[in-house]
Amino acid sequence: MLRASSKVNGEEVNLGVVTAGKTTVSGVAGETQLLALVEATLRRESGDELANARNALAGKLGDAALVDAAAVIGNFERMTRIADGTGIPLDDMMAALTVDIRAELNLNSFSSAHNTPQVHPLKAALVRLLQPLMLRRIRKQFAKSEAA
Amino acid sequence: MDAFAYSNSPWQIRPDLPEAFRYTWEKLANSGTWLTGEQRLAVANEVRNAGDCHLCRQRKASLSPFATDGDHDGDHGPLSNLQVDIAHRLTTDASRLTESWLANCVEQGVSREMYVEILSIVVATVAIDAFHRSLGFELEVLPAAVPGEPSRYRPAAAKEGPAWVPMIDIAAIDDDDADIYSGMQRSANVIAAMSLVPDAVRLLRAQSAAMYLEMSDIGNPASNGDRALSRPQIELIAGRVSAINDCFY
Repeated sequence: MLRASSKVNGEEVNLGVVTAGKTTVSGVAGETQLLALVEATLRRESGDELANARNALAGKLGDAALVDAAAVIGNFERMTRIADGTGIPLDDMMAALTVDIRAELNLNSFSSAHNTPQVHPLKAALVRLLQPLMLRRIRKQFAKSEAA
Repeated sequence: MDAFAYSNSPWQIRPDLPEAFRYTWEKLANSGTWLTGEQRLAVANEVRNAGDCHLCRQRKASLSPFATDGDHDGDHGPLSNLQVDIAHRLTTDASRLTESWLANCVEQGVSREMYVEILSIVVATVAIDAFHRSLGFELEVLPAAVPGEPSRYRPAAAKEGPAWVPMIDIAAIDDDDADIYSGMQRSANVIAAMSLVPDAVRLLRAQSAAMYLEMSDIGNPASNGDRALSRPQIELIAGRVSAINDCFY
């Protein structure tokens, strides 16, 4: 969804930041502060480090963004455990759409990767071809709903 | 005093967040589908015990999560050792669980239905506690249990599929449970994952709408649900949390 949402928003994002963390530049506004809050929360860093991460994020993006960020962190602490605890595979379309990026980011090395069957290369190629059309359609839908 | 009042918060907390959290606490306190309110709250308490548990820490550091035996830290109340072990593993090392481990749990007496209910309690508690930890708030005190018996409702439409537990396909769902997929054209696996216990999906959706996005906004990558963060900022957080948790999904 990071790739899709950045493309729809007309932004270029380096997805490597997802696995590399703070050492990589993503191109998302406020990324340093957002990633610092994620890492301080999940790695249970000291109270000072968490407080610094909060203050930096609130200073950069505002108080409401800090609260939203904490909520999203909590949400995905949940979703990851649901996925891993039930052994669900990636949904078919998502699996086909993400063949390249999963290889590039080495996500296939995660132990839960074996829950998702390999995508047939022909299917992956077809989806890759259709991807720009799909994004264009989403952009059109979005423009229509904005205009309404 | 009201739970989740946030009266001393230096930041304004959107009202839908404490509403969703209070709803969660109410659901945890009442009997569920396979567990009583007392048992459900004991599971929630194990999430907190797991954070400082020595056995969990040893296992996390081990090459295999199944190599180390022992007792988990904490007072386990009405739960069996196996229920405690499930709650701790889901909290601290979920990415290394396996289908054969779950099959072994079933052989030892925790049904898949009960497992899904334990999972739903663990993840609901983990989500709220992470929000509190992130903002520097004390963890909210768990509520008092409400007496009552579990409903033992098992949806007939739940079938074996691609996951370790049966799930309900959106095309096969009964009217009584149709609300769990409302607003969806397809039943995304991560939503359907807990559909063996439909109330678990209802709780997930209530929390998710406040903590992430409404279901109708999730599929539209252009939508940020009127949050203060852009959608790419939201998804950057989502991706990084998933990667740190070694979650492939």
